[in-house]
Amino acid sequence: MEYKIEKKSAPGRDEVEVLGATYEEGKPEGEELGKWRQKLRDRNEKLKYLQTGERYWYGKDWYGSEKRKNPA
Amino acid sequence: MAEAETKSIDNASIKMIDKAASDGVNTAFDRAETKKPCPIGVEGSCCKHCGMGPCRVPPPKGRQETPEEKQKRRGVCGATAETIAARNFIRMIAGGAAAHSDHGRGVAEVFLAVAKGEAPGYEIKDEQKLLQLALDWGVDIGDRSNQEIAINIGEIALAEFGKQEGQVLFLNRAPLKRQELWRREGAAPRGIDREIVEIMHRTHIGVDQDYRNLLRQGVRASIADGWGGSMIATELQDIIFGTPAPVLGRINLGVLSRDEVNLIIHGHEPLLSEMVVVAAQDPEMIALAKSKGANGINIAGMCCTANEILMRHGIPLAGNFLQQELAIVTGAVEAMVVDVQCIMQSLTAVAECYHTKIITTSPKAKIPGAIHIQFDEHNAMESARAIVKTAIENFPNRGSNIDIPKEQTDLVAGFSHETINYLLGGIYRASYRPLNDNIINGRIRGVAGVVGCNNARVKHNEAHTTMVKELIKNDVLVLQTGCSAIASAEAGLMTPEAASKYAGEGLASVCEAVGIPPVLHLGSCVDNSRILIAATAMVKEGGLGDDISELPVAGAAPEWMSEKAISIGQYFVGSGVFTVFGVNWPTLDSEEVSKYLFEDFEAIYGGMWAFEPDPIKAAHLMIDHIDKKRQALGIDKARERVLFDMAMRRELEGA
Repeated sequence: MEYKIEKKSAPGRDEVEVLGATYEEGKPEGEELGKWRQKLRDRNEKLKYLQTGERYWYGKDWYGSEKRKNPA
Repeated sequence: MAEAETKSIDNASIKMIDKAASDGVNTAFDRAETKKPCPIGVEGSCCKHCGMGPCRVPPPKGRQETPEEKQKRRGVCGATAETIAARNFIRMIAGGAAAHSDHGRGVAEVFLAVAKGEAPGYEIKDEQKLLQLALDWGVDIGDRSNQEIAINIGEIALAEFGKQEGQVLFLNRAPLKRQELWRREGAAPRGIDREIVEIMHRTHIGVDQDYRNLLRQGVRASIADGWGGSMIATELQDIIFGTPAPVLGRINLGVLSRDEVNLIIHGHEPLLSEMVVVAAQDPEMIALAKSKGANGINIAGMCCTANEILMRHGIPLAGNFLQQELAIVTGAVEAMVVDVQCIMQSLTAVAECYHTKIITTSPKAKIPGAIHIQFDEHNAMESARAIVKTAIENFPNRGSNIDIPKEQTDLVAGFSHETINYLLGGIYRASYRPLNDNIINGRIRGVAGVVGCNNARVKHNEAHTTMVKELIKNDVLVLQTGCSAIASAEAGLMTPEAASKYAGEGLASVCEAVGIPPVLHLGSCVDNSRILIAATAMVKEGGLGDDISELPVAGAAPEWMSEKAISIGQYFVGSGVFTVFGVNWPTLDSEEVSKYLFEDFEAIYGGMWAFEPDPIKAAHLMIDHIDKKRQALGIDKARERVLFDMAMRRELEGA
C-alpha cells in the first residue's frame, strides 16, 4: 500500500506533514461488493484467521468467558 | 382498495390484491376470509392419530371446568387433553425439523457429489469454511486437497442424519454450560433422523403419555434441527456457494421488469437456483430472449430461495410467502420455478388466469397442472437451462393485462456470523467485543431474533414491521431471517439510513459507527442457525454470562404459520432464549401444557415460550425479558467510574 502524506497546520508551527488515512478508498462494485473473505489469500492465512478471528472456537489459548473451564 | 388495505400493509401487495379481485383470481387472502380455522384444532384439542377418533377434547368455554369434567376430558384411548396437546405440538416440531433437516441432507448429498467431482458446475467456493468444518469435525487438513477434505466432510455430514449414538457434532459449538445442560436434561440429540422418528413413535396411540416427557423429546428433536440439520445446510451451502457478505439488493414486486423475461425462483434450496442464475447470464440464453422480443432475462427470488440468492449474488427479491400468488397476478411473470416448502398449490390455478408457467423441480414436491423439470445435481446446468428456456419461450404469450407495482426498496443483506465478526473488528481484530461492550454500556439494550413466516390470518407484514420498529426504537438490535426479514426489508428497515430514522439514540450511534443497518438480514430459515452461532459468540466473547440463557436477548415469530417455525422457536427456547409467538398458539386448550411451555421451561432450559398476538405488547415482553437479564448481569444501571489511587487500593487489598 502506498502511504499518503497530508499537510496540516499545527499549533505553534506552520504546516506539518502527517500520515494520511490508510483505508482502501473507493466503492467496490458488482458482485464483489462487500466481499471480504478473498482478502485471506492462502490456506495458512485462512487457518491463522480461524485461530484469531474465530478464536471462540478455534483459538488454542483463549476461549473468552470459557477460558477457565474444562473442554466439554 | 379499502378492503385490500385491511389485508396487507404493503402498497404493492394491496394493488395486486385489488387486481386479483378485478381479474377474478382467488388468492390466500380470499380463502382466509371464507375458510375459518377449526376452533378446536387451532388450540390443540383434536387427536386424529388413530381410527377410533378423531377425538375432540376442548375445555368448556366461558367457565372453569370441574375436576370431574377434566377427568372425563379424554380421547377414546384414554389420552388426556394434556397428552393430546403435547403430542400435536411435538408432531409439529417433527414436521418442521424434518423439513429443515431433509433440506440439509439434500445439500450434503450434492456437497459430496461436488467433492467427488460428480456434480459439474458446482465448486468449493469458500475454502475457509471448509477448513472450519474440518477443525470442527476433526478432519485431517495437512497438505490434503480441498476435494479430499470435502469428501470426508460430506461423508460425516451425511452420517449425522442416520447416527444412532453419541450426540450431533455441532453441539460442540454451543457454550459449554449449554452442552452440559442438554446432556443433563436428556435433550442432546443422538442423530437427526432418530429424534424425528422417535417423536412419531412416541406420539403413536398408546406410547408416551406424559406431556413433560413428550415435550422433552420435542426439545431434543428441535435441537437436532437447529444445531444439526439446519446448521449442516447453512455451513455446506456456504462452502459451495460462498459465505454471505454484505450486498446491496432490491426488494418487492417492483423488481419485476416490463420488457424482460421474468423468471421467479421460489422455495428454499439454493442448489438449483444458483445454477438458474448462471444459466440466465449465458449469452446464448440472452440472445434467445432477445429473439423473442424481450430486452433480457430478469431473475427474481421469492421466499427463502430468494434470501439465499439475494445474499450471495444481490439477485432482486420479489416478495415473501403471501406475495407468491400476487407476483403472478402482475401478468408479467413468464415462469415460476419452485423446489420445496411454502409453495401454495393454488399457484397453478392462479397461473391459469395469466400466461405464467409453474415449474416444479423436486421429486419430493410435485403439483398437478405444473410442468416438472427434475433437478439432477449431476446435470444441474442442463436442468437450469431447460427452465430458463421454458420461461423465455413463454414471453410471446404475455397478455396485455399487465400491472407491475412501482414499489421496490433497497436493502443490505448478507450478515452472516462471520461477516458480523469481521465488521466489528476487521481482519486482524475480528471480534464481538464491540457488540458486547455496547450492550454492557447500554447503548444497545439487547439483541432480538425476529423470524418466521407470513400468516393470512393476520394483516400481511404488519406484525413483523410493527414489532421490529418498536424493538429498534428501544435500542434493541434485530437479527432476521426468512419471510420476516423480507417484511422488514420491504418497509425500508434494512438500510444503514434506517438507523437514524427508526432506531433509538444508542443503537443508532453504534449502527452509524459500524456502518450497519439496525436490522440485520441473516438469510433464509435454515440460517437461523447463524443466529445461534452469533449468540454463542456473544457468550464466548465474555462479559455477558456463561450461557445463551444469560444474554439479554429474545426471539419472536409474530406471523408464524409453518411447522418449521415451531421447530425453530423450540430450538431457540431449548438453547435458552425467551421466544414469543403471535397469531395463535397450538396448546392453549391445555392449561398445564401451556404453563409448562410458558413458565416451567425457564427453570429447565433457561428459555421459555410466550404467546402474544399484539406485536407492540410482544415487543415489550421481549424488552422486559432483556431488562431482566441486564439486571441479572448487573448492567442495568450506569455505574459511577472511580479512579482508584494507591491508598484506596491498599484499603481494598487489606479488606
